[in-house]
Amino acid sequence: MSVSEALRPGTAEDAIDGVVPLRVALPESPEDLARVLADASRERQLTVLRGGGSKIGWGRVADRIDLVIGTARLGRLVAHRYGDMTVTAQAGMPLATLNRHLFEHRQHLPVESAFEDATVGGIIATNDAGPMRHRFGTPRDLLIGVTLAMTDGRLVTAGGTVVKNVAGYDLGKLVSGSHGTLAVIVDATFKLLPLPLASMTLVGSYVDGVALARDVAALHGSQVELTSFDVYAANGRWVLLMRMASSPAATEAQAAEARRLLSSAPTVLSGDEEAALWGEQIRAPWLEGGTVLRLSWLPSNLPAVIALLARLQSRGCRVAAFAGRTMGAGLLRLEGEDSTVLAAVGDLRAAGEVGHVVILRANRRVKEQIDVWGPSTGAIEVGRVLKRKFDPQNILNAGRGPI
Amino acid sequence: MDQRIVEQFRDAIGPEAVLTEPVQLVTYECDALPHLRSMPDVVLLPRSAADVQKIVRICDREGVPFVARGHGTGLSGGALPVAGGVVITLAKLNRVLEIDIPNRRVTVEPGVTNLEITRQVAPHGYYYAPDPSSQQVCSLGGNVAENSGGAHCLKYGFTVHHILAVEAVLPNGELVQIGSPLADAPGPDVLGLLVGSEGTLAVVTKVVVRILRKPESVQTLLAAFNSTSEAGAAVSEIIAAGIVPAAVEMMDAVAIEAAEAAVHPNFPPADTILIVELDGPSAEVAELFGIVEATCRNAGATRIEVAQDEAQRGRIWKGRKAAFAAMGRISPNYYVQDGVVPRTKLPEVMARIRQLAEREGIRIGNVFHAGDGNLHPLICYDERIEGQSALAERVAGEILIYCVEAGGSITGEHGVGADKKEFMPRMFSEDSLDVMQSVRDALDPKRLCNPGKVLPTPRLCGEVPGPYREHPIERAGLGERF
Ligand SMILES: Cc1cc2nc3c(=O)[nH]c(=O)nc-3n(C[C@H](O)[C@H](O)[C@H](O)COP(=O)(O)OP(=O)(O)OC[C@H]3O[C@@H](n4cnc5c(N)ncnc54)[C@H](O)[C@@H]3O)c2cc1C
Repeated sequence: MSVSEALRPGTAEDAIDGVVPLRVALPESPEDLARVLADASRERQLTVLRGGGSKIGWGRVADRIDLVIGTARLGRLVAHRYGDMTVTAQAGMPLATLNRHLFEHRQHLPVESAFEDATVGGIIATNDAGPMRHRFGTPRDLLIGVTLAMTDGRLVTAGGTVVKNVAGYDLGKLVSGSHGTLAVIVDATFKLLPLPLASMTLVGSYVDGVALARDVAALHGSQVELTSFDVYAANGRWVLLMRMASSPAATEAQAAEARRLLSSAPTVLSGDEEAALWGEQIRAPWLEGGTVLRLSWLPSNLPAVIALLARLQSRGCRVAAFAGRTMGAGLLRLEGEDSTVLAAVGDLRAAGEVGHVVILRANRRVKEQIDVWGPSTGAIEVGRVLKRKFDPQNILNAGRGPI
Repeated sequence: MDQRIVEQFRDAIGPEAVLTEPVQLVTYECDALPHLRSMPDVVLLPRSAADVQKIVRICDREGVPFVARGHGTGLSGGALPVAGGVVITLAKLNRVLEIDIPNRRVTVEPGVTNLEITRQVAPHGYYYAPDPSSQQVCSLGGNVAENSGGAHCLKYGFTVHHILAVEAVLPNGELVQIGSPLADAPGPDVLGLLVGSEGTLAVVTKVVVRILRKPESVQTLLAAFNSTSEAGAAVSEIIAAGIVPAAVEMMDAVAIEAAEAAVHPNFPPADTILIVELDGPSAEVAELFGIVEATCRNAGATRIEVAQDEAQRGRIWKGRKAAFAAMGRISPNYYVQDGVVPRTKLPEVMARIRQLAEREGIRIGNVFHAGDGNLHPLICYDERIEGQSALAERVAGEILIYCVEAGGSITGEHGVGADKKEFMPRMFSEDSLDVMQSVRDALDPKRLCNPGKVLPTPRLCGEVPGPYREHPIERAGLGERF
């Protein structure tokens, strides 16, 4: 397929916040992608990068989108070096497909997404991760190499395919969380982990957040090593999910130790039931409508965060779901009139108990009235300086992204 | 340097913090790679971030190149002074500012040593995970700049995985906070770019690190093998069994001989020895350790010693860590090389290194982090014999090429610095290096911040890594080189 055939007019299905892009390009090779990007830069076309489209709505509302460059046709598994426990995949490969390949050798990339269509490129660009981040960190912690297409049409690499390597600037880190504002991620190399020999999940239920926070504190100070950790509150129900994954006897022993620390007896899940529970848990904050925020806090502040949520609720904003992933980061789904939601975001940003309150999903009206990214930071200022070099025409996710 | 500029430094940070006497400057001539030397014009000893900012502003205004320096233990000439420039020593910014046990965070100034963090949080049952063997003396600022690793980075990762935020002075003199003690700061991971940038993008003035709970249990074994490939197979089997050891270290016959000569760890006679350490919850360590033992036996281990107590564990590690300095017992001079290969390529690359040694008639010892393929070949030579230094240099360079050809890297933890920048084109295309240069130019358009490091300068091609000389730290027995 030639470049021009891979280019089509945008349709309503391609719309982002109601803005229909003029054209959509689905290049078939890294070289084509780089060419399309260079042309776009030369012609100053405002360009949005798209992986599976699962998080494409994250960001400010664009006035206009000239071009969407999708990586759907760049979905190849480049190499699974299972003996070395590394993998290289093109950016458009869905995370789920990647993990299916890795499963053949009982390995995995311990990153979870709420979205079936999430791709390798997308998880890096958003640095989005699920409850396993408690043990393994976010994609940036597992990324060891990248190929990037630059706006001037060059394909460049940083890092490599070995797990230990300090040669050169780590551009893979730089594009992590960049939301498509600096360069196009063409392929990525990750270090992998073995699938655990055994796994078990404990679920504790609580009548309120205060009791839950006490158990969280007890676990935090203990020798229990959790793989995943999730606090979840919805419809007045509070649950604490704890996953331990290790060798069989060790998993049992860890679970016994956790049970000893908890204030009441948890439910125990394993096997398919356990997998299904986590799948649901990861998707839960996103399932129904409403505004989804990301926020973080100091672990010791969890009780204060819980109190803060109660205050929001008492001011008329429905806290539909709260998912605390790892000890100090999570998602919040709010329901209510636009004005109530806007006021709640304002309250959260002003509150000392939480920080980095970012709106991930909201209707267009809300997004037009408040900056989804929140106040600028030192890293964002530096990011902007770098963007002027990487994207001198300011075409990449311009106005929408964090920089 | 123009006296007028020196006066500005004196006015800014006080005359006692400005060193200009040659006897004072000589200490700063080089880092732990002493064959690269250059006398700085002035050495500055700021006591605060504000001092650093004042210094960098003067440099920016006057066009003076500056080099940040921690404790000078770098092994790639990263802190090598630049002619006509100043060295900014962060040694006096050495306060631990905050210890927050409930949130597992510690805030320090960059001159604090790596081990000091662990020392301060140990009473609470915590530690700072990255453990370079220079940890008693190297600075956190240096660790951040080099993205330092340690024996335990196989399981716990490198410095970059343990830094939450830094405060830094940019080359234009601006003081910025990068990262956050809270997770999920929006935007590109500029912190991840700064860590490992070898002091070329900013001067770090404060660091927030994450600390970990001390593992409940640690178990260590030593296994003897008849060949590196058998030992390598054992490592692969252990990892294929789903086990991530805290550390996996390998030593070959030359290194064993040297260690025995120096510290008598009583290693069993062997072609290769493997040291495997597991840590974590007691039940996990107990269960997996049995698997590790059985795996080593099945892979052909001729002998296995399990450390029964802290003393025995200490002895095993002493033998391992002493291997480098111990080379001095069997060779007058030697190079310590730092390269990385994919783990499965270890036997192949080891065979190439052996052939190289035979062909060139030179002894090469090997001590390495087998778990992550980080090689540290020790190239023995005698500088008194004509041509041997040059030969050793050539051999050291050749090994790096083997690493790259095997799909690896020219450095796993010591950095590129001034030493290996001419090898960068072996790993990265001209375009890739150009984009890296543009990152640097964006933040340091005047090219004053640690110039001449990391990225190659065409005029200096053909430079090769330098010979090993014992660092004062090693001489004082404060640390061994990994
Ligand atoms: C005996 C010995 C053993 C070693 N073992 C290991 C090991 O196991 N693993 C490992 O990874 N390394 C090891 N090293 C290398 C060295 O200790 C590390 O690279 C260390 O991080 C350097 O710290 P330093 O304070 O000595 O930095 P320096 O040598 O002073 O500087 C190193 C680099 O950091 C920059 N820098 C220093 N401070 C700052 C700052 N505040 N802001 C910005 N840039 C700064 C300098 O410009 C320079 O580029 C070893 C070295 C020796 C001598």
